[in-house]
Amino acid sequence: MNVAVALSDVRLDVAASEAGPAPKRVVVAYGFWIFLLSDIVMFATLFAAYAVLARATDGGPSGVQLFSQTSVAIETACLLASSYTCGLMSLAVKQRGRLGTYFGAFVTFALGLAFLALELREFADMIVRGAGPQRSAFLSAFFTLVGCHGLHVTAGLVWLAVMMVQVVLRGFHPTVQRRLACFSLFWHALDIVWVWLFTVVYLMGVRA
Amino acid sequence: MPLYAVGLMGMTRRLQHYDNPAWQPWLMVAAVGAVVIMAGIACQAIQLVVSVRDRRQLRDTTGNPWAGRTLEWFTPSPPPAWNFTVLPVVGRFARRTPAKGTPDYKAIEVPNNSPIGFITAFCAVVTGFALIWHIWWMAGLGLLGAFVALLAFAFRRQEEIEVPAVEIARFDRAHPAEVTP
Repeated sequence: MNVAVALSDVRLDVAASEAGPAPKRVVVAYGFWIFLLSDIVMFATLFAAYAVLARATDGGPSGVQLFSQTSVAIETACLLASSYTCGLMSLAVKQRGRLGTYFGAFVTFALGLAFLALELREFADMIVRGAGPQRSAFLSAFFTLVGCHGLHVTAGLVWLAVMMVQVVLRGFHPTVQRRLACFSLFWHALDIVWVWLFTVVYLMGVRA
Repeated sequence: MPLYAVGLMGMTRRLQHYDNPAWQPWLMVAAVGAVVIMAGIACQAIQLVVSVRDRRQLRDTTGNPWAGRTLEWFTPSPPPAWNFTVLPVVGRFARRTPAKGTPDYKAIEVPNNSPIGFITAFCAVVTGFALIWHIWWMAGLGLLGAFVALLAFAFRRQEEIEVPAVEIARFDRAHPAEVTP
């Protein structure tokens, strides 16, 4: 990271290259943004597949018959609230408040877990009713898209738990702080994906 | 390209023989193309043989045998872990050293070497293989292995090592900057 290059040949004495490399916090966050964008590209392809296949029910159940709006509304509320508490955790990390960090992380984790439990119950319910991923192209696309988001949430919960162990062991070491910043970017990105998912799958699904 | 044309005309792959005269001209063009590709492969083989045979005369000591003017040519060959000993100055063209005299060497931070990338990649291969053949216990084992490796990586004590300025100066003297205007 020691190479920063100025591409101007005027005033080489104060060229940007003299300023040295960007701080690690910036470099790490930039790299993580690129990862998030690649993740969003993947979700975009899954959304496209879902949009194409949404009506290919092969005579099986459609979204109107399957989706429970109450359950999805609670899931959405859990995830949006967890994004808020994740923001509170970031503020606590900035002020190096251990108690606030643990509290924010705990509530975020609990809300994320509640979201996952509701989603898994929804999936299990659908499979019991004979609407598993093998029933129709619509359901394959549904389980791939929503399941992929659910897997991301699961990974996020594991990540958060590991980060709390690191806060206990190493405190607010710069590395730990950078990772927590990346985690919060990840968590908010998942929230944004869920907002699209909620709109495209559930709101548009029950209208059809 | 001619094979695309015959493909659109209905020719499948790996035919033992064909009896459609309309394909003939396209397949002759394709045969000429195959000869060109074979010549390319032969050139590659010749280049490998000559490079190994004449390696003593052909060895490059400057790091920039073609006097390239862009930054990638301004590291020694092979490049050290820190790439550039001092920040190169870039004007219209890159220059290897900022000015005359002894450069002001500074210690450089480089990432520590780690085998974790290799281990996770191996576990990913195991997982992928297991998922293709529905061997669920092996898929679980692969994922667990990758997770444990990443966990070990996340808890590593030393992320970076600092290469001292003395070592960088020594390296730079052993691989002197070429002086082309």
